[in-house]
Amino acid sequence: MRLEYYLRETAAGLRRNGIVAFAAMSTAFIALFLFGLALLIARQFNLVIEAWTGNVQVAVYLSDPARPQTVTRIQTNLEQLPAVSSIEYWDKAETCAQFDQLFEGQDVFQEGVDCERAIPTSLRINLADPSQFDQITAALGCEADGATQEIQCTEPGVRDVSDYRDLLDRLTAITRVLSIGVLSIAVIMLASAIALVANTLRMGMFARRKEIGIMRLVGATNWRIRVPFLIEGLVESLIGAAAALAALFVIKVFFIDQLRGELQFFPLIRNSDVLAVAPWILIAAVAVAVIAGTIGMRRFLDV
Amino acid sequence: MISLQRVTKTYKNGVTALTDVDVEVEKGEFVFIVGQSGSGKSTMIRLLIREEDVTKGSIYVGGKNLAKMSSWDIPKLRRNVGTVFQDFRLLQDKTVFENVAFGLEVIGKPKHVIGQRVPEILEYVGLGDKLSNYPDELSGGEQQRVSIARACVNRPLVLLADEPTGNLDPNTSVDIMRLLDKVNRIGTTVVMATHDQAIVDAMRKRVIELDEGHVIRDQSRGVYS
Repeated sequence: MRLEYYLRETAAGLRRNGIVAFAAMSTAFIALFLFGLALLIARQFNLVIEAWTGNVQVAVYLSDPARPQTVTRIQTNLEQLPAVSSIEYWDKAETCAQFDQLFEGQDVFQEGVDCERAIPTSLRINLADPSQFDQITAALGCEADGATQEIQCTEPGVRDVSDYRDLLDRLTAITRVLSIGVLSIAVIMLASAIALVANTLRMGMFARRKEIGIMRLVGATNWRIRVPFLIEGLVESLIGAAAALAALFVIKVFFIDQLRGELQFFPLIRNSDVLAVAPWILIAAVAVAVIAGTIGMRRFLDV
Repeated sequence: MISLQRVTKTYKNGVTALTDVDVEVEKGEFVFIVGQSGSGKSTMIRLLIREEDVTKGSIYVGGKNLAKMSSWDIPKLRRNVGTVFQDFRLLQDKTVFENVAFGLEVIGKPKHVIGQRVPEILEYVGLGDKLSNYPDELSGGEQQRVSIARACVNRPLVLLADEPTGNLDPNTSVDIMRLLDKVNRIGTTVVMATHDQAIVDAMRKRVIELDEGHVIRDQSRGVYS
């Protein structure tokens, strides 16, 4: 009875408000789409950062086979350096599992190539003070070849030292600029969505001011009066959210999936990434409805 | 049933509508509030359903202090106080039955209660044969009956009527007064604001006269002036 009443009132409200409700829904759609896009951009770049730098500033690659006592010796040496904040040892199994996961569905390791042979084990280092990179190379007795810039190390067991400080900084900066840029457009659009949804609610309440007046006279509770409008706003923003999710999947299928297989060593977002942003889009949609409801009904319905 | 104690109401624009008003109304009484336009009659009605707050003094309805009532309790108050107005306030897109049912529906009464009480009250007000008519198919008097039915369908303790005959011709007004009297006889306290002299004189009920916000007369079995 009660549910039926709310559904009937909501449907009537949406019909009556036709065009304005459509404007609210499409704005909510664009806003939530951009919001989801910003989240996906961040996820995409995090994948790239993970694949290219392991999310660390310095990687010390060890020669095969890496004996446990060699690993321990180098790790202990490096841990004593004041510039080092943390060190993690990645063995073959761990490294290959990580690559399999990042490049799932992409044939990075062509048939016959064995990951265990192709990928070296490594010590992954984050620096407490990134400007003190030289401490690491000095400790391992490494020197850059003047002509080729290739690093040669005298420390036994060390094959190569990679300095990812620059790359990591740049990738992080690009991620930040892109996702914050899109996110701020999304925020502006979300604000317009809130305004438009609030406006449909207000128009609905104005169209029904006589009914609302009678409801108050006969003692209907505030919630009884408000809930149909709140549901109306919620339906509008949830339809926008559903459309936004659909659009993100379309982008993933027709844009991202086309690149898969063409790009080597460039990991790409998958369906699970789109699914992972879905809850955030839904939360944003509900927030739009709640804020719009609060704004739209302020003043109008004070007893 | 109703008690106003030293009630003063000053609106935000500085107009003082009521000054130091003391009124006691017993359960089951029929009271006319008379006075010229702007004397404070409507303000009194609005205070009694807490559409407005008192500025000073206190009002009790059914033993409850309206000033201390939380906004959650206001709907409960209004379920116990029926209201009727000069302009009927009916919904044009709903039938007579639906208009009265609306009053129960929005306070969450179940369908079987609505199905039983609405025809009952419409029969009581003399509209038993007009259940599926729309308001614009009814005369003014009939529309006011629908409005009275809606006000009474939840069996309120008090019925407030603000100029209920203001839009009606004298003969129809008499019919409406008969109906209000009938509602009063089943125990409902009725407070009616009016400046219809003929009606007040004919009914010989208690009369409270307001002038510029002051009670200048309170007389049982009174006349208009």
